Amino acid sequence: MTLFLPAVEQGLIYGLMALGVYISFRVLAFPDLSVDGTFPLGAAVAATLIIAGWDPFLASLVAAGAGMVAGAFTGILSTKFRIQGLLAGVLTMIMLYSINLRIMGRPNLPLLGRPSALSTAVEALGLPYTWGLVVVAAILVLGIKLILDLFFHTEIGSAMRATGDNPHMVQAFGVNPETMVILGLALANGLVALSGALVAQYSGFADVGMGVGTIVAGLASVIVGEMLLRPRGVFWATVAVLLGSSLYRGAILVALRYGSVLGFTASDLKLLTALVVLGALMAPAIRARLRGEEA
Amino acid sequence: MRVLTAFLAVLLGISALAAPIKIGITQIVDHPALNAVRQGVIDVLTEAGYVEGEDVVYIFGNAQGDFTVAISIAQNFLAQKVDLVVSIATPTSQAAVQVFKDTDVPVVFSAVTDPVGAGLTGYPNVTGTSDMIDVRGDLELLLELVPGLKKVGIVYNPGEANSAILTDMAIKAGKDLGIEIVPAAAESTAAVPLAAQSLLGRVQALYVTTDNTVVSALEAVVDAAVKGKLPLLVADPTSLERGALVCTGFDYYDHGRMTGEVVLAILKGTPPSEIPVKYQKGTQLWLNLDMAERIGFIFPGSIKDKATGLLFAGKRFTLEK
Repeated sequence: MTLFLPAVEQGLIYGLMALGVYISFRVLAFPDLSVDGTFPLGAAVAATLIIAGWDPFLASLVAAGAGMVAGAFTGILSTKFRIQGLLAGVLTMIMLYSINLRIMGRPNLPLLGRPSALSTAVEALGLPYTWGLVVVAAILVLGIKLILDLFFHTEIGSAMRATGDNPHMVQAFGVNPETMVILGLALANGLVALSGALVAQYSGFADVGMGVGTIVAGLASVIVGEMLLRPRGVFWATVAVLLGSSLYRGAILVALRYGSVLGFTASDLKLLTALVVLGALMAPAIRARLRGEEA
Repeated sequence: MRVLTAFLAVLLGISALAAPIKIGITQIVDHPALNAVRQGVIDVLTEAGYVEGEDVVYIFGNAQGDFTVAISIAQNFLAQKVDLVVSIATPTSQAAVQVFKDTDVPVVFSAVTDPVGAGLTGYPNVTGTSDMIDVRGDLELLLELVPGLKKVGIVYNPGEANSAILTDMAIKAGKDLGIEIVPAAAESTAAVPLAAQSLLGRVQALYVTTDNTVVSALEAVVDAAVKGKLPLLVADPTSLERGALVCTGFDYYDHGRMTGEVVLAILKGTPPSEIPVKYQKGTQLWLNLDMAERIGFIFPGSIKDKATGLLFAGKRFTLEK
């Protein structure tokens, strides 16, 4: 239980980032690497504002806004200036490294002992701290997920989904696919930055190096979720993303907890994390094969 | 009944004695200096009679450079009910304090350059050691090495919390001493060669602090120093053989031993709140005669008197004082 709760907490908070990656990679079919920069951007903006005395909710919202601007920038580079999507994302990502350092004024800002958006909500609701955080994170993240589901069924949302499938067809219907890409990347990176803002408050610090590996974790979450649920439609697709994210974070905690028992050392962590994820993915196939042989 | 209670108390006492102490050691990345700190802590405890596997069990965590894993490591320590946490470097220490700040489990941080700036002070269960180096002293040493010194180049990673602080301190101290600091930023080991080369022709000496990124790629800075025939001072004694002309500072193994002494004091009953944060002392001064010959540099006599050791023909010689 003591490991299960943190896995779900983190799965939900990082799940927002994974939802952003789902929007760019799956809905828009756009390989957006700006994520490695917009995740710490959210952390940097939120930490700077919280230290300046801002309300943590407002600080997190502004952080999301900053992520949207950065995402739109990648979109504009790619559509208006015809820069290849991968390069546009890389350019935004490396620019943000310097920008994040400027925002914070130094590479690391401590948030220890500062109010966090999630813990403030836990106190306001009068919940015990042990499982209150999971409840608040679940309400927030599932709420955002439901809003996304509704959005993707509106006219703009449907046009955005169609853009990823076939931009030429969308154009025939009088929708500008370039606008959809810019809007979609803004939405995606807004979610990623919000996730970064919450992770910084959850971890007790914002660090300019915390974006390393964000896209890897995000893609892993999206694909793991898809393999497990094989979702049809947006509603189950976003459920799958959150499930994948929780499983990925859970894998890290399981690897930490039981790795040494199995004789692995601390430096084997990444190998072990990948093996736990692989195990979870292959389990259904192995079980089916075993059953098939018995029959 | 009383006999039974006494019997139970003895039984519990024995089992409490028999259960080994669980110490969680978390570090941000595999790095020679940070690994040396970890070894220093363990050696002090072993020498004090805490035998690994019998009296004490170590649980190691290594975030492998992924900052977001640092918090998971700390949560795992909490779940495993460790009796004490040793956190090495700034982000891992912040994550450990975030998880353990509302508990009474002692957290001992190590290799944190600026504990106050990192927000690690003010918790009753948290104390530790700082690896702050004497930046001003290093610049004064460079002034002594290079008469008429006006410009010093620093290669550093602006993304490293410890390094950014030290570079800021160097710029401030430089103003007092009449030295202009020319920083060259390298955000990864791959960027160090270009950053070092960019300083050639613009400075009279090169300085590297305890920057993890730059020390990892020190050969690139040495290469620039040889090309420009510039004296290179590195605030890390282990960098001597790699080609620094002068090394100051302390051994990270000694820093780990100092951290180990803090851990020992806590295990013996001193509450962490009564142990102030300790700053590493005992500066060494090593001169590399091989490198001096290579770049045609002659050490002034005043420096030779201060030196604690020499590197000559690839061998270290400690000077008796």
